[in-house]
Amino acid sequence: MRTPVPIPEIKMRASQHQVCYRAKDKDMAKIDLPKERLENWKEAMLKKMAEVLQKYRSVRLFLDICVKCGACADKCQFFLGTGDPKNMPVARADLLRKVYKRYFTLAGKVWGRANEAEELNETVLKDWFTYFYQCSECRRCSVFCPYGIDTAEITMAAREIMAAAGIATKYVTEVVAKVYDAGNNLGIWPPAWKDNCAFLEEDLKDTEGLDIKFPVDVVGADVLLIPPSADNFVNTNTMIGYAKMFHAAGISWTTSTYCNEGGNFGLFLNYANLKKINNRILEAARELKVKKIYWGE
Amino acid sequence: MGTKFLFVVLPYVSVGVFLFGILYRFWRWIQTPVPLRIVTTPAPKTRLGVAWRLFGDALWFPNLFKADKLLWVGGFLLHAFLWLVMLRHLRFFLYPVPEWVRAVQTLGLYSGYLIPLPLTFLLARRLLIDRALYISILGDYFALLLLLAITVSGVLLEVFFRTYVVDVKALVIGLIHFQPQVPDAHWLFVLHFLLVMALLIYFPFGKLMHSGGLFLSPTRNQRANFAQRFINPWDFPVAYNSLNLLPPEKYREMLAGPGEGKR
Repeated sequence: MRTPVPIPEIKMRASQHQVCYRAKDKDMAKIDLPKERLENWKEAMLKKMAEVLQKYRSVRLFLDICVKCGACADKCQFFLGTGDPKNMPVARADLLRKVYKRYFTLAGKVWGRANEAEELNETVLKDWFTYFYQCSECRRCSVFCPYGIDTAEITMAAREIMAAAGIATKYVTEVVAKVYDAGNNLGIWPPAWKDNCAFLEEDLKDTEGLDIKFPVDVVGADVLLIPPSADNFVNTNTMIGYAKMFHAAGISWTTSTYCNEGGNFGLFLNYANLKKINNRILEAARELKVKKIYWGE
Repeated sequence: MGTKFLFVVLPYVSVGVFLFGILYRFWRWIQTPVPLRIVTTPAPKTRLGVAWRLFGDALWFPNLFKADKLLWVGGFLLHAFLWLVMLRHLRFFLYPVPEWVRAVQTLGLYSGYLIPLPLTFLLARRLLIDRALYISILGDYFALLLLLAITVSGVLLEVFFRTYVVDVKALVIGLIHFQPQVPDAHWLFVLHFLLVMALLIYFPFGKLMHSGGLFLSPTRNQRANFAQRFINPWDFPVAYNSLNLLPPEKYREMLAGPGEGKR
């Protein structure tokens, strides 16, 4: 029997204080974003918003057709956990929707605030930065919405729009910058990656007496393995598991020091970085001339 | 002059706004590309499966059923009753009246009597549940109250202020054949008619477009054909920033020694 989580009463601004740290200049520069919030951030955001609305049917459609039935309201873990009404998926999307209505729809221009349309200003931006980073893009709301409205699409659009004006969080930008620097989210440097692999080889020999290789940067192997980088750092039993599996199956494999990360934090930032990070997997595969990529996270 | 505007000019204007409004909205959606496959799984693998899924979404709201049983009852009854009432009204548009339209007359009539129930429920729900109250905006109340006013005036016309339906039919058929005839109507009929015209004009601009938008919703109308490559129409090649990474060659040099991580 499943115990349903009790639905909290709404508590205004309950999680308003949980705001992410601002991105650092050096990381922003590495990932091709403005170092800090632009002088003309409002114009930059509206320009990007117009672009996003032209590029993603999902965003335009989802902003248009929500009937605010509230079916998603009690399905978001961030709402269930905090009771903050702005964490209801519909209300989260409304943060973007009200700006969309104000600048991009006739009804919003005619009715204004009476129909929730609102100017993009400092207060709205603060809400965006707070609540669009309190969404994990899990898409649970889309499973319950009668029209399949996916708040992750809205969240991603809002983060893309903010990023274009130099507004992003430290955590996400730091991780993306680390991928370009070291090849993975954890910042394990290539020499360290190789060293870790050698250590696991020795360890396996000492503890289990097995002579199993952890190949790194082997050109011409059959399989390029892209694990989550934590497997070579904390969850080493998983890494040992891969090696044993490949050994038992008799498959030649390798990891790459250029790209050894299955997770992609570009998803939490913008399309260009999402694509760049994924592209590294292909670049590594071509460089090492492998036949297949095994890719997990 | 007043009645001529009401029964001749207004209907053409509102039907025009309704049709062109809907076409415009669809055109805006259709010309916006779908860059990624974002279908909500489990999803059908074939086009036929997608058609069936959308048919179900439009008719019996399975997602809403999963989400909230009481809301599903209210929403489903409202939509079912609206369909039946609209089918009943077809008798004003078709001559001769087909057998199947005759067959739904009684059902349509009782649906009309009952519509205020789900409408009141949905309205009360917006006011009584704190979450629903928080998210409700003017447009939500407007749509519900407009439908309520239309159905109440319609029921009153049926029960207390019986309208001479032959005149009504003459009006509708006249409009369809571009030979409008102005009837001599009771004020309540005028009100009912006006409200429906208001609904037609409002329809394309607000939330009521959920009816059409559903069919273009990427999470519902895509297939789960993950083995096929999905092409993003506006994709672009990526270029790396020179600030990024030391090139791989430099790493290779550093990695020449066995195992030792030397910088």
